[in-house]
Amino acid sequence: MKNILKNERIKKEYTQVQLAELVNVSRQTIISIESGRYIPSVLLAIKIAKELDSRVENLFQIEKSD
Amino acid sequence: MLFLLPHRFKRYGLFMIPLGLSLWLTMQLGFISKILLLFLNENSPIIHPINVLIAIVSFFAFLIGIYFLGFSNEKMEDEMIKKTRLDSLQFAAFVQMVVIIVGFLVMLLYHEPDKEGMLLFFVFLLFTFWLCFISRFNYIIHISIKQQNEKYSEE
Repeated sequence: MKNILKNERIKKEYTQVQLAELVNVSRQTIISIESGRYIPSVLLAIKIAKELDSRVENLFQIEKSD
Repeated sequence: MLFLLPHRFKRYGLFMIPLGLSLWLTMQLGFISKILLLFLNENSPIIHPINVLIAIVSFFAFLIGIYFLGFSNEKMEDEMIKKTRLDSLQFAAFVQMVVIIVGFLVMLLYHEPDKEGMLLFFVFLLFTFWLCFISRFNYIIHISIKQQNEKYSEE
């Protein structure tokens, strides 16, 4: 699964720490999601999308290998 | 996750594990008896009970320390930490299973399993699980924090 979280976060001028605080997770989790090492739960994906004024399917895209 | 302790218990665990282990090794190597013999007669009836008491206390201090270290909340407990903990538990269970199979095969093929050997093997199995779980979990958290610090210095 690929994601455009980093781009969307930068567009909204949030730092990783700010976004992490908004969705109540650690900065490590945001870094891991951005680098594709961790796939968030539906709940967290929705929270992130809401904070970035985006849609989950826009932020996270399924690849053929998924 | 059920039964997670507050974060401060991790520090208690880090203190209790080496303390319990060193006390247990001291007792096993006979140093406690040697120290007691400085103050007591060789035939004193309390030397053996003191050794047994120290063995029990140190063993349980070690075990409880392992529990504290493995099942304390992280500073920021979130879903990724919970997933890492679960993955580490599964990894530890898998390693233990492999050790059980290999251990039994080795014992059956090469040795006549005796009572003491079996007991030692089961104690080893018990610690294999906990040590695998704690080392994998903390290693992944450590790597994650290291990457976080690297990214932070880049930004």
